[in-house]
Amino acid sequence: MANQGFERVGPVTYELRGSPQDRAPARVFADEVLFEKIRGDQSIEQLLNVATLPGIVGHVLGMPDMHEGYGFPVGGVAATALPDGVISPGGIGFDINCGVRLLASRCKRAELGDVTRLVDELMRTIPAGFGRHGRLELTLPQLNDVLARGARAVIEEHGLGRLDDLERIEDGGCLAEAAPAEVSDRAKERGRDQLGTLGGGNHFLEVQVVDAIYDAGAAAVLGLFEGQVTVLLHTGSRGLGHQVCTDYVRRMDETLGRHHIQLPDRQLACAPFSSAEGRAYFGAMCAAANFAWANRQVLTHRVRQVFRGLLAGEDLRLVYDVAHNIAKIEVHGGRKVCVHRKGATRAFGPGERDLPVAYRALGQPVLIPGSMGTASFVLVGSDAARDIALASACHGAGRAMSRAEAKRRMQGATLRRELEQRGIVVCCPSNAELAEEAPAAYKDVERVVDVVERAGIARKVARLRPIGVLKG
Amino acid sequence: MPGTPHHTFEEHVSEVRLRIEARSLREVFEEAGRALAALSAEADTEATLGVGERIELDARDREALLVAWLNELIFCSETRKLIYDALCVEHVDDRSLVAMVRGRTPSAVRTAVKAATMHDVRIEESPEGFTATVVLDV
Repeated sequence: MANQGFERVGPVTYELRGSPQDRAPARVFADEVLFEKIRGDQSIEQLLNVATLPGIVGHVLGMPDMHEGYGFPVGGVAATALPDGVISPGGIGFDINCGVRLLASRCKRAELGDVTRLVDELMRTIPAGFGRHGRLELTLPQLNDVLARGARAVIEEHGLGRLDDLERIEDGGCLAEAAPAEVSDRAKERGRDQLGTLGGGNHFLEVQVVDAIYDAGAAAVLGLFEGQVTVLLHTGSRGLGHQVCTDYVRRMDETLGRHHIQLPDRQLACAPFSSAEGRAYFGAMCAAANFAWANRQVLTHRVRQVFRGLLAGEDLRLVYDVAHNIAKIEVHGGRKVCVHRKGATRAFGPGERDLPVAYRALGQPVLIPGSMGTASFVLVGSDAARDIALASACHGAGRAMSRAEAKRRMQGATLRRELEQRGIVVCCPSNAELAEEAPAAYKDVERVVDVVERAGIARKVARLRPIGVLKG
Repeated sequence: MPGTPHHTFEEHVSEVRLRIEARSLREVFEEAGRALAALSAEADTEATLGVGERIELDARDREALLVAWLNELIFCSETRKLIYDALCVEHVDDRSLVAMVRGRTPSAVRTAVKAATMHDVRIEESPEGFTATVVLDV
């Protein structure tokens, strides 16, 4: 089997020894239980396929939530040397800049009142699911402005949020390398009416309560306190990002021969970063990432409106916003590289210039959503994360069961009742979709987060317990 | 092996693996399109079919063509807010396809499909017919 040959080299670290000349070394962060789950699907094989990409620097990495995807595993991280190492759209995924945003209220659970009413109001305000469009339909110049300037564009041009929100978003909510002209007309057509929509699949909006503080000092810096009501948004670049990936996987698949690249999996289609295809894709990906940050910004504005309508004087504060499907140009080991994070969160330690001034001494907030009905976590990145894991952490619990199996094992209606008995109000278009995202279909997020902490990548600050879920 | 074309959705931890069995390449493509429609939403059979839309595609091989076909239907479905379950492939070979498709309004939403992927895409031919597999990102 392709996943044989890994040795445990630390309490929560496995490495593939004796990698052949034509493959980079591989490292997986997991405890025994999670490693067995990881071995149970094709993710190790997929990670080793990634290790054959031209220009890989250092280890390819598997996070503890890693599971089988397509091309790259979900929870995979790989850096390629610039300028001529490759960039692979499959190493970012179709949902470019899928990510998580945490909003914090001033109120405690007891002051919130009826959660059902809040969730109903959020459901009326936030479009979710297949084919749902937002209230903001952009002209082409407006869309190009969003692609170029990200969250800032919807704040400045549409009044959706506050400028001080930008400080608390990864990269300030805008990748400057964005090239809207490299985004196809078809991608723009898909995204034109989707700004401010949650989408389907595993995307969600959750109302939560901070139910544990692990690091009081760090929590105070982040403005988090026990009993506090928070909101977690999980969504990305919607159809626009999906189409960008579709366009460039095809384009790169067609130019592999010209670049003399042979691949074990066609979904790993790639091109040298410095090539015309590589540069065009990176510009388009950055533009799609900006669209995703704008999307989460519009959703933030809508959620704030709902909270203000129900709680006089409430004004949700943006704690942080992270991307977990993205490629970034970063410097690691003194070398400029393109870091692919596919289902992985950047985890910068203290002192990084990209961090908000208020968090710079603390480290980057790392937001890890749980599965529906289980806790989510706030961590902060460590100094050691750079050397250990290319400054990267997990992105969630990680699926452990197919959607079909989840539906065979669980009845959506039963699950809805169980969640409600645990004090979680759920809004989901159908019971079948609810069953697909059942907590049992995922790994244990607490175990996943513990591995990240034990590996020295990031440390826990707070745990967030869901009380209301709007499922995409 | 195939009588009438049919599809199944096979296990994949996070996505959907679509398997098609059919007697001809044309049937593979038509059945793949119908499977995508069935996965995405419940078509309102009372709803009137929309006007016919002509689709012309080319690709470097038939596996890439199958992915391109499904991605074209995903694009049309998402931008027109229709489900395309009336599909007629007029011509298909290893590198090109011409089809007429008609969509209708869905009555209930099922799974949001982001894209068809190139991961492990296969079209295999035997004396009995064709078997194809493709992974859909959902």
